[in-house]
Amino acid sequence: MIAAAPGALDLDKLYAARLYAARARPYLATALYALHVVESRTVSTMAVDRYWRCYVSPVFVARTPEEELASVWVHEVSHLLRDHHGRGDRVARERGLTGRGDRLRMNLAADCEINDDAFDDDLPRPEGAVLPGLFGLSEGELMETYLREIVMGLVTRDLAWLDCGSGADGLEREWDLGPDGAHGLSEQERDAVRFRVAQGIRGRPGHASKSWRRWAEEVFHPPQPWRQLLGAAVRSAVAGAGGADDYTYGRPARRSAGVPGVVLPSLRRKPPRVAVVVDTSASVSDAELGSALLEVAAISRAVGGRRDLVTVVSCDAAARIVQPLCDGEGITLLGGGGTDLRSGFAKALRGSPRPDVVVALTDGQTPWPSARPSCRTVVGLFPRIHDYSANEDDPDYVPDLPPDWAHVVTIGPTP
Amino acid sequence: MPTRTPLDTTAPRGTSQLEVAAELLALLRDTATEPRPDIQLEALTLAVAADLPVLLWGEPGIGKTAALTQLAETLDLPLTTVIASVHEPSDFSGLPIVGDDPATDGVPMAPPEWAVRLVRAGRGLLFLDELSTAPPAVQAALLRLVLERRVGALQLPPGIRIVAAANPRASAADGWELSPPMANRFVHLQWVHDHDVVVRGLGGTWPRATLPVLDPTRLAEAVAFARRAVCGLLTTRPKLVHLLPTSETRRGGAWPSPRSWDMTVSLIAFATAAGSSREVLSLLVRGTVGDGPGLELLAALDRMDLPDPEDLLADPTRAILPERGDLRQAVLDGVVEAVRKRPDKPRWDAAWAILVRALDTGAPDLVVVPATTLASLRDQDWEVPASIERLAGAVSLSRRADRAAARTAVAARAGR
Repeated sequence: MIAAAPGALDLDKLYAARLYAARARPYLATALYALHVVESRTVSTMAVDRYWRCYVSPVFVARTPEEELASVWVHEVSHLLRDHHGRGDRVARERGLTGRGDRLRMNLAADCEINDDAFDDDLPRPEGAVLPGLFGLSEGELMETYLREIVMGLVTRDLAWLDCGSGADGLEREWDLGPDGAHGLSEQERDAVRFRVAQGIRGRPGHASKSWRRWAEEVFHPPQPWRQLLGAAVRSAVAGAGGADDYTYGRPARRSAGVPGVVLPSLRRKPPRVAVVVDTSASVSDAELGSALLEVAAISRAVGGRRDLVTVVSCDAAARIVQPLCDGEGITLLGGGGTDLRSGFAKALRGSPRPDVVVALTDGQTPWPSARPSCRTVVGLFPRIHDYSANEDDPDYVPDLPPDWAHVVTIGPTP
Repeated sequence: MPTRTPLDTTAPRGTSQLEVAAELLALLRDTATEPRPDIQLEALTLAVAADLPVLLWGEPGIGKTAALTQLAETLDLPLTTVIASVHEPSDFSGLPIVGDDPATDGVPMAPPEWAVRLVRAGRGLLFLDELSTAPPAVQAALLRLVLERRVGALQLPPGIRIVAAANPRASAADGWELSPPMANRFVHLQWVHDHDVVVRGLGGTWPRATLPVLDPTRLAEAVAFARRAVCGLLTTRPKLVHLLPTSETRRGGAWPSPRSWDMTVSLIAFATAAGSSREVLSLLVRGTVGDGPGLELLAALDRMDLPDPEDLLADPTRAILPERGDLRQAVLDGVVEAVRKRPDKPRWDAAWAILVRALDTGAPDLVVVPATTLASLRDQDWEVPASIERLAGAVSLSRRADRAAARTAVAARAGR
């Protein structure tokens, strides 16, 4: 093969590297091939835009060996698959990050998310790759988390040359061809490529790393913010259970004067009674439990409940956390029950007057009531990673899943 | 006397304050429009044209009502807006009217005035706004109106199209929740505002969407295409026919069932007859059967667009391959697969010709895997075609990658 003229982009080398990348990471092949190469002398290495164009510096290709180029291919396509520009825009809006420096931090945070498990023996880590360890952070977190922790300072000054383009952080660059340029992918096409890659990973998960498997599970069903979900579940349970505002024939409507002899329903309010069953096997952190409990109290007040209508049934292990919370919020605390959630439910339902809604906050490592309780039930579940090796006496032990009559909201760190 | 405002002193004699205010208001309302594609509005138009109940999900104040006004103008339908939250259930199920002898004549349920007007007009767009802030009993009555098209004793004529709007669950003021059977009857459209459009609009120029027009010559073709697309997918993915949502996150949204697939067929046919883009179709399909099944259907549509391997093999010299690398790779894989299924010498040669064409017109690394597979299909008696020489570039590319892999392996061993 003839060596490329000096200064020109060595396409053969670039494509050989892509072939290498596709062999090392077969599940990313579709995405790698979907990228459109654009030669550019303004980029320092390789960069992508949100329309899946890949801008390549000829000088960078000339001085980098194929295997490292392959790693860069994988790195750049990861930015696009993981929608770093879209997430970057969202974070920028939410946290009011407008400066160029913020976008550089976003780029670095996104790099950390990718690089912490992108490379191995088949795909060498390129020189100068940004890793969470560089900022003293632990691996396996998301871009949004890293972004909070990374502070501009001495460390980042050396990294300022690193630039993965608008595809990595959403900030338009001077070399970008923009939405009207040739060979861009439309939003639907981008979704289709992402979907194909995710399907490939889910079909044969053994090939992909842990974070890619997590990505494939969540790409089209991102975990929802639990506060809002819990709020919606409690609201709907409270509204449907005869509490809140609804029509009743118990009193005649004001309109009845217009239609003599007919009983029309009227609007009336019954403040909902909410019982919160807190079941912690000493494995729920104070912060998690506290925020969830306060959330429930706030929601039930917002829908018209009064302070005295929220009761908490606490189980022994949690008493030390629950007691001060309830005192501080003016919530009635019923005495401790067993460590069994069933007794907690029984106690809540025995309350007088009876609650309209029972909200159970639990980590799920418990037996559940065998029959549907007589009122609506919302379960706030603290997810626990099942460590089967810890339970050596009974290797087949699997905790019961929450029953299907309950609204289950998984409570976790808000992304 | 210092009671006069500055405006008053400069105004010509005989002009009242209110007239000046009217002038200012006229200036403020004097806005221009510019054409701009609006895929949300296009999707809404198609769903309304297809006579499917639409549910717009969107935060308050982002222009759902404005969109409906424009839609009504385009379809030339009178718009009736009913704010659900200020009505009572009896406004939708009918107000009882007591006659002289209820025991023999019964008590008729009288419809409200707006419904009578709507039925008399025979056609119109009924917009049920703020569904989510209405009390549960009103919502129940409204859903009957949407699904059975009845208001009290009145049956709405077929010329009336219904659109409802609701706030997302997370921001709803109280317990609005669609049960899965209800959710399954709607086309769910997420209504979001476009930052640029809003800023430009406040500056005085609002977008004017060019709305889809159904092409009467393409109707039969559109129906055939829609049926082929949905049946093709459901044949290979029987699980997708009926999939009840289980998790809390997906509650109240779209999910696949025979009913929603039937709606999908209509929507694909309408989008095809209108020549709408894939973006519009994506909104509609994902809003009808949900994200996962919707994306699978769209992926299947993409594959239907690719050239048929048999056509390519029949005439390799005129083969036109897609520009995009991943699609091109899918076509080449398809060609090799077709040869593997029914191998003979002419087909094998034709496949080589297609690979050479791919190499001449695009990136060489795409050709490596299909070429390797095709080479392995060779029968002992088959002579290697001369054109295979031209694939040397791809082979050297492959070797280059192999060498890099060897270097990496050495480095990995050394590093250990």
